[in-house]
Amino acid sequence: MSDIAAQHEIEPTSLGVDNRKLAIWTFIASEVMFFTGLIVTYMVMRGRSVSGPYPADVLSVPVVAVNTFVLLASSFTMVTALSAIQQGDVGRMRRFLVATAVLGLIFLSGQAYEFTSLGLDGASLSGNLFGATFFTLTGFHGMHVFVGVIWIAFVLARAFRGGVTQDNHLAVELVGLYWHFVDIVWIIIFTVVYLLRM
Amino acid sequence: METQHAKPNYIGVFAALAILTAAEVAVTYLPVPRLPILIPLSVTKAILVVLFYMHLKYDRRLFSGLFLIGVFGGLAVILSFILLFAPPLLDAVR
Repeated sequence: MSDIAAQHEIEPTSLGVDNRKLAIWTFIASEVMFFTGLIVTYMVMRGRSVSGPYPADVLSVPVVAVNTFVLLASSFTMVTALSAIQQGDVGRMRRFLVATAVLGLIFLSGQAYEFTSLGLDGASLSGNLFGATFFTLTGFHGMHVFVGVIWIAFVLARAFRGGVTQDNHLAVELVGLYWHFVDIVWIIIFTVVYLLRM
Repeated sequence: METQHAKPNYIGVFAALAILTAAEVAVTYLPVPRLPILIPLSVTKAILVVLFYMHLKYDRRLFSGLFLIGVFGGLAVILSFILLFAPPLLDAVR
């Protein structure tokens, strides 16, 4: 397989880049600020709950750590799918896109387990400040992962119809950018919420 | 005009991310201050994903600029919240 990655061509637009790629990066920039607001709200509200349950009582690192590895693995499979189609290997791209979607669903299952576990421990969105900020933050992230899985499914459907080729694979690149960003957000959430106990 | 670059070592990046994550989890079980260790580890992981998986190291600078606008906007949000609600955060850091 070639060690040379994609060539960046000059597009016939005013900025010389594909408008769709410009749009996704602009969207990602806005999402950075969106999630930053949610994360810092969690941080500043931490320790201000009048009643329990409190984070130290209910948050568990081991399960979520496994979930974190799952999402990191999904980023690897996503970038491998993109690399495959850049080399013209449609079959390999399809397999790794499927793997990415499956890993995303596994992550969502882990989150569902975590939310259920927390619910059984008395944590809820309206229970206290911890519940409100925690579930808002992780809930929005989970929704983004879910949307990402749906998006991957659409790209896969197009790929199985022969609509994704070595010369026309921007769809894979765009969903990949979104997926990696969702992974980055989880990297920060995992550290701030579960490890730092901020 | 076209540009080419060597394909990044995606497996190497994944290995680095896995090792850094394992290190982060290990830190929580050790009697060491978490903040000065975990934040740099976490930021390093994020940078690895942005540069290599999101291809920002090799792509047009326009995209880097756009992303950094979001990052600096986010930092402004963080700074604003800390200035407004500083005491609880300082207690958590201590």
